[in-house]
Amino acid sequence: MTANYGHRLEFGTLVTPVATSPATPVALARRSEELGYDLVAFRDDPDQPAHLDIWTLLAWVAGRTERIHLAASVRSVPLRSPAVLARSAASLDLLSGGRLELALGVGDAPEAVEAMGGPRLDPHQAVESVGEALDVIRDMLDTDRQDALRYSGAHHRLAGAERGPLPAHHIPFWLDGDDGRLLRLVGTKADGWLATLDRTGPDGLRAGNKIIDEAAREAGRDPAEIRRLVTISGVFADTRRGFLDGPPAAWVEDLLPLVVEDGVGTLVVATDDTGTMERFAREVVPALREAVDRALPAPLPRTVGRSAAVRAKRRPGIAYDEVPASLADTAVEPGDVAYARVRSNYLRGGAPGLVLRPRTPAEVADALAFARAHRHLPLGVRSGGHGISGRSTNDGGIVIDVGALNEIEVLDRATRRVRIGPGARWMDVAAALHPYGWALTSGDYGGVGVGGLATAGGVGWMARKHGLTIDHLRAVEMVLADGTRVRASETENPDLFWAVRGAGANFGVVTAFEFEVDEVGAVGWAQFALDASDPVGLLTRWGAAVEAAPRDLTSAIIMGPPRMGQPRVAQVMAMVDSDDPETVVRQLQPLADVAPGYDQQVVLTSYASVMANATDGPHHGQGEPITRSGFVDHITPDFAEAAARLLASGVVYFFHIRSVGGAVNDVPPGAMAWSHRGANFHVTAFGRHRGRLDALWDELLGTHQRGLYLSFETDPRPERLRDAFPPATLDRLRALKSRYDPDRLFHDNFAITPDTASRTTP
Amino acid sequence: MTDYGHDLLFGTFTTPAAQPVRHAVDLAVLADRAGLDLVTFQDHPYQPRFHDTWTLLSYVAARTERVHLSGNVLNLPLRQPAVLARAAASLDLLSGGRFELGIGAGAFWEAIEAMGGRRLAPGQAITALDEAIRVIREVWAADRPGGVRVDGDFYRVEGAKRGPAPAHHVNVWIGAYKPRMLRLTGRVGDGWLPSLQYLPGGPADLTAMNAQIDEAAAAAGREPARIRRLLNVAGRFAPTGRALLDGPPEQWAEDLAGLALEHGVSAFILATDDPAAIEVFAAEVAPATRELVAEERARTAA
Ligand SMILES: Cc1cc2nc3c(=O)[nH]c(=O)nc-3n(C[C@H](O)[C@H](O)[C@H](O)COP(=O)(O)OP(=O)(O)OC[C@H]3O[C@@H](n4cnc5c(N)ncnc54)[C@H](O)[C@@H]3O)c2cc1C
Repeated sequence: MTANYGHRLEFGTLVTPVATSPATPVALARRSEELGYDLVAFRDDPDQPAHLDIWTLLAWVAGRTERIHLAASVRSVPLRSPAVLARSAASLDLLSGGRLELALGVGDAPEAVEAMGGPRLDPHQAVESVGEALDVIRDMLDTDRQDALRYSGAHHRLAGAERGPLPAHHIPFWLDGDDGRLLRLVGTKADGWLATLDRTGPDGLRAGNKIIDEAAREAGRDPAEIRRLVTISGVFADTRRGFLDGPPAAWVEDLLPLVVEDGVGTLVVATDDTGTMERFAREVVPALREAVDRALPAPLPRTVGRSAAVRAKRRPGIAYDEVPASLADTAVEPGDVAYARVRSNYLRGGAPGLVLRPRTPAEVADALAFARAHRHLPLGVRSGGHGISGRSTNDGGIVIDVGALNEIEVLDRATRRVRIGPGARWMDVAAALHPYGWALTSGDYGGVGVGGLATAGGVGWMARKHGLTIDHLRAVEMVLADGTRVRASETENPDLFWAVRGAGANFGVVTAFEFEVDEVGAVGWAQFALDASDPVGLLTRWGAAVEAAPRDLTSAIIMGPPRMGQPRVAQVMAMVDSDDPETVVRQLQPLADVAPGYDQQVVLTSYASVMANATDGPHHGQGEPITRSGFVDHITPDFAEAAARLLASGVVYFFHIRSVGGAVNDVPPGAMAWSHRGANFHVTAFGRHRGRLDALWDELLGTHQRGLYLSFETDPRPERLRDAFPPATLDRLRALKSRYDPDRLFHDNFAITPDTASRTTP
Repeated sequence: MTDYGHDLLFGTFTTPAAQPVRHAVDLAVLADRAGLDLVTFQDHPYQPRFHDTWTLLSYVAARTERVHLSGNVLNLPLRQPAVLARAAASLDLLSGGRFELGIGAGAFWEAIEAMGGRRLAPGQAITALDEAIRVIREVWAADRPGGVRVDGDFYRVEGAKRGPAPAHHVNVWIGAYKPRMLRLTGRVGDGWLPSLQYLPGGPADLTAMNAQIDEAAAAAGREPARIRRLLNVAGRFAPTGRALLDGPPEQWAEDLAGLALEHGVSAFILATDDPAAIEVFAAEVAPATRELVAEERARTAA
């Protein structure tokens, strides 16, 4: 008889949390990680004052390990608030990067729980309390639901708790024990059963599986959804002396039936002896895997199939079962827990049919191969998810999310060369460069990703002093539409390097950027709230002050529509790249003087601090803005008049001008695909109504603007492409498109039509 | 003028935001490297936008080397005292004696109830805190004979085994404002941990509050100077001085030295989420304040 549930075979250690030598369990956990174990577990025992609190220990171990999964078996449930335990679990999962697994159980010494101030529970009540705690924890972490959590059980009661936070991954919940009632709970609601072999015995294991499987089926679940884990203990000896007492080969013999006949998916060695840990990892694990593969000729499925409930949410036209093996573990589909975290962008909600999350350039190539087989669907490429046009998510299509490629590495201190993955966010970049006394001008919001911005432009707080972000780009590594991995720089694929700087989204998925960054010390940072009752005067004076200012200063102004009965206020922000307080104050003074002020804040701080302004976690798509973008040379009274009319219309809720000019305009216009050198300002307007915004913008600002910055443009009309790229640039881009992406795999973000005349067939 | 003569401590009070996930961790590591003495986090378990403070403290302890850690202050109503005692001892053991127990009676009773906690009237909550501190110290007293017995109105512990004992004397710092809490602090606390921004009269309020603590301590036969006075402060660094803790670092040092010498504050915990402010506080404010206070103490001793 075989009861194989199709789980990947995993191995763990169970370590005693001794308090007398607290470094020992930590060292054993680290050793487990080094030896390649999948998980390290601690079990609590409220009757044992010589033990460390396992939650504290587990969190500590999370801070001292990198990869290994961490399991707690909490058997003092009546002493802990399940709602607090839920938050703790989410925190630990987030802090550890999705490494938590949580078991609940009934302790062996109910009187110890009582002695510590817990309730007196009979065995039946103790199981009931654990079942309720599991419900509460699950419900607390179900952030898809917006309502406050009310729960009224016999042991736990919640009167409207806020749910969350959302953990980093689907935390598997197991139950630990072999009480029949507990096993039925495993079948109805847990993700796994943790048994102690010494105690339950092989027969008990079989009987337990039967109870679980029956309960699962009754509850409409597939028993294969439930992982079976057992803790084992034994000794290594030269000759076999008994069960798990002998040479490694004897251990393999003893364990094989547990796996192939009883469907055990995780074997956890209970030991505090590094020798045993090592021998088990080196001599038992590989041999056992081999024996299992032989005994189960059909290779074990890599991951358990998704439950029927998850599969029901699949979208048409996607070959879900053909997702490349390298991506299967991290792929997310609509029924998965992680879906809430990955479906949307910062500004836009989405409902993709499949999100692929490659961790390496090779996996990006695999993802693109899958995308090529699904040309009938929209394809989004996502780094930080802050695209304003929202093309990095979609409805029913595929998203390739390279957020995991987020490394930041200094390549050469002398030339200030750094290598940054597309998934890093600009606040992380700023924080990483700060200790070197360096900075890279980016955008104004720390949550924005490197991938989207550094393929499009990068108009940031030091634009006038240091130029655009892409002006600092020295090389990229990317995966092309056909899956080829290439490097582009001034000397390698220079055409592609030219195109990537401004039109990158059309040519491939960038997997690494190499920048030359600047030395930047302390900076002055100012925020003024100014009287905007005369918007035309304010805008023109602000524009003139910015143009007259030294390049150290870069500024932006934000205005909203007039509101009845409220004074009109404009926000002016400015950074001065100087660590001298007097220079900072002197350069800011003319800006502060452009209008009477309501409030002002000037601080000497770091670029990293200014950029540490994003608090967003998983995106939930708020705003759904409709935007337009344009460059202007100067803030003339005519332009200011037009802008004031646009604002007075009420169609625009957010109007933002950023200064460019200065160093941005030192670069010749044809040097890269981004061509808008010469202008001094970039203007954006956010509205809620496409038709009304387009009509007004075209009428009022269209005549003043030249060119646009595609990061802020959402108008889908094809002529916007001609605003984004002047004719000669567009011609060259079309020729390159026919070389690098002739079949337009990348077609969602300002898609360039390949130039058919120069199309070459390989 | 009261100066209880403690060495000065400088620390941070950063938001335990759950997003960005590592926000609080990164700032704590920065504080540790910058040479600050303390890293503290508020504890509001009903708030899903924050990390669980206990988990965060434990994780941060593992990522830092020297800095001491404390809740600022821990929410007793949602943390079972006997479990908290063992957890605190565990963290102290793991971190080599770097944990301090900042604790409070709790507030926001509706939210506590929503999480399954029990609602207490303010007076009851103070009694409960008193009982909990007894439980915690009894659990830590591993070498005393017999089990822990505390027969309180709110916490009843009947023979729980003692231990583990922490690695060092874990200080119990109490977040207190009202007379009964101040008296409790004087009677049983190792320290007093209020926030400057919650004192309606500003630093001037410290005088009368210190006096209440001192009196209660003396009445309980304790030396008032044993009780460290800590203070959460906020402000901003600006090129020119405008107000208390709003100006250049030199002015901050003078402001803090004043609080130390006049009001006996010997731990300044800066509420900030700004890495640059933490660096300035550690590199400029802390040494300058220490210097000013040392000079003045030497002068008055002479
Ligand atoms: C609040 C906010 C403030 C902003 N401020 C500024 C600012 O001050 N200055 C400025 O210049 N911009 C600014 N932007 C615009 C920002 O630069 C763009 O929205 C940028 O595309 C976001 O990058 P991302 O990686 O976060 O976005 P994503 O949504 O992940 O990507 C956006 C698009 O970029 C392309 N893309 C993403 N990753 C890659 C990759 N690895 N290889 C190739 N193509 C890729 C895709 O076509 C995708 O649709 C701001 C945006 C927001 C939301």
